[in-house]
Amino acid sequence: MPDAPDAGPARPALPLASRAARGRAASPAPAPANASANDFRVGHGEIHAHHGEIVQGMFYSSDGTVEHGLVTLPCSLYRTRVRFRPLRSGPLTVEPGDRARSRAAARLALDALGRTGWGGSLRIESNVPVQWGCGSSTTDVLATIRAVADAFDTVLEPEWIAGLAVAAETASDSLMFGPGRAVLFAQRRGRVLLDLGGPLPPVRVLGFNTEGEHGVATLTLPPVPYTAWEIEAYRPILGMLRRAVAEQDPGLLGRVATASTALMQRHRPKRRMPELLRLAGEVGALGVQVAHSGTVAGFLFEPGPGAARRIAEARDGLRRLGIQSSWEFSTDLAPHAEEPS
Amino acid sequence: MIHASFVDAIALPRLVRLRPNLIGLAFPLMKLLPARFIVRKALESGELAPGGLIAETTSGTFGLALAMVARLGGHPLTLVSAPAIDPPLQRRLEDLGATVHIVREPGPTGGFQQARLAILERVLADNPGSFCPRQYSNTNNPASYAPCAEQLAHAAGAVDCLIGTVGSGGSMSGISSYLRLICPELTTIGVDTHGSVLFGQSDAGSGRTLRGLGNSLMPPNVDHAAFDLVHWVGAAEAFRATRMLHREHALFMGPTSGAAYLVADWWARENPDQLGAVILPDEGYRYQDTVYDDAWIESKGLTLDALPREPVEWERPHDEDVPWSFFRWGRRSFAEVMEQPAGVGLVPA
Repeated sequence: MPDAPDAGPARPALPLASRAARGRAASPAPAPANASANDFRVGHGEIHAHHGEIVQGMFYSSDGTVEHGLVTLPCSLYRTRVRFRPLRSGPLTVEPGDRARSRAAARLALDALGRTGWGGSLRIESNVPVQWGCGSSTTDVLATIRAVADAFDTVLEPEWIAGLAVAAETASDSLMFGPGRAVLFAQRRGRVLLDLGGPLPPVRVLGFNTEGEHGVATLTLPPVPYTAWEIEAYRPILGMLRRAVAEQDPGLLGRVATASTALMQRHRPKRRMPELLRLAGEVGALGVQVAHSGTVAGFLFEPGPGAARRIAEARDGLRRLGIQSSWEFSTDLAPHAEEPS
Repeated sequence: MIHASFVDAIALPRLVRLRPNLIGLAFPLMKLLPARFIVRKALESGELAPGGLIAETTSGTFGLALAMVARLGGHPLTLVSAPAIDPPLQRRLEDLGATVHIVREPGPTGGFQQARLAILERVLADNPGSFCPRQYSNTNNPASYAPCAEQLAHAAGAVDCLIGTVGSGGSMSGISSYLRLICPELTTIGVDTHGSVLFGQSDAGSGRTLRGLGNSLMPPNVDHAAFDLVHWVGAAEAFRATRMLHREHALFMGPTSGAAYLVADWWARENPDQLGAVILPDEGYRYQDTVYDDAWIESKGLTLDALPREPVEWERPHDEDVPWSFFRWGRRSFAEVMEQPAGVGLVPA
């Protein structure tokens, strides 16, 4: 989940002309401003949520500066669908009415598509829990941008969507890249720091809430005051994450998640984390990931024989720690064969 | 890729497989990592002004690394050195623009190092706005090794054991602190030498023949609780192992690399199912007339026909000139191990 923005977040220049002038890849090109007024339809956009992060911290960009960055853990349990019915003029309405960021995102998307002054109606359907750190706000914004683009038969590049999302929301997750392409994403700048070159290794995840069912308002959290040692500490974590993706090694992914969880525990401690880490070790989990700015956490398990038994043991252990509710999903992109029980 | 400077180009080690379960981290000049990082952080914090004087006490590779970094950054550099500095190194430092002060008399306690520290303080006092990296106490020394841990994690994934010599405490304390985030079960083996106070021997006696590891003062940057095992290696064994590294692996490294390799090779034989990494801190060019010259080794009475197969285990650290010994330090503090702290002087922070 995004952190609160810096005092003066650098907002990307959004209009098509300025992006093109800077030589950014902007293909496929959105419809030009003088497009025929009739080539539109009811647009649909959909996006899955995430389950917090595998890692969130500070990372060196190629020019040597240090940036806030994260790698999210995609989660297929939750998703947001948006329908957009464009109107050539008139107001831009959103339902439910409290989704002001989606409305702002739709306005920015219309501008970027050359439809300045257009209106229409947005309808958002989402089962993403709010304030758990699963990206509920970001999924609203991203599905909205996709629905607006779809209304004009346009598919936007993820990099383009990222710029719009950060402008609408002040910070954004990397969900627009989809589960097939893991990226280290600068959530405040809306740009990719490092393309990890493939999906995350396949893991089964047992998720739960560490703080009960009430969440945290992630966009208002103060920035984490990382020490110099901690900023450097994300280097070896990133080194191992690159190895985990290249080798598709779930065990290394688990180590990365636990390391990031341990560093964040110094700043935003989760309740009972020492007990949770011990339980994860006892039941043979590969690691423990958290929403660094939220309330969900997850035990990561190696897919395959033994996973179901380990997950059952973990559920028992969580109940002993007073955590009654838990859920399960897999990051494996391939269809999952059910384990023989 | 094209690096911004030669320092950036050679700061990280080459990774070499020495055994199926042992990776060598062969540094051209390991101290470039702390020299570069300490100067960068001092500039960021304002401790060091652009173009400001840097002064440090060193007669070894940290001085050379500082001289390279200072030259590229446009900083004048004063190095306070013991007479052990060899003339080719001194010429190289001076070619890089450094001023070299050589201290010829040891202090009443703490040997040459204490005497050098006294002169260093005078240089700093005489030059307002100057900056001293203080590699023995500056926490940016251990922190500077994160890129090395990153490189190892990317190339090898999880490692089970890290082996390296200890002098300032920077490399071993730093790399192990970072690796343990992602490899919590990591075994850390520190390699020291006889007559060094780092792990509980005294510096009484005739002085250390093997240089570049160990210390006659206790640097605050040595995090004793990071170490599972400590080895003490003598000069003859280290020199012989240095030559083995060259003869068997074509790795032309200095004698600290030999000391570390002796211990690492033993560990790798003892633990065939685990993966180890050994730090090899510098190249052999400075030692061509010594470690790489059989006549010199013989003149010192340090000729060895064969290396010992294994070390002698000690029940506690003590002064005894056996060729190669080890002690199960057990991630304890110095005081915990020694029960009552010995009278070792602390390097002023």
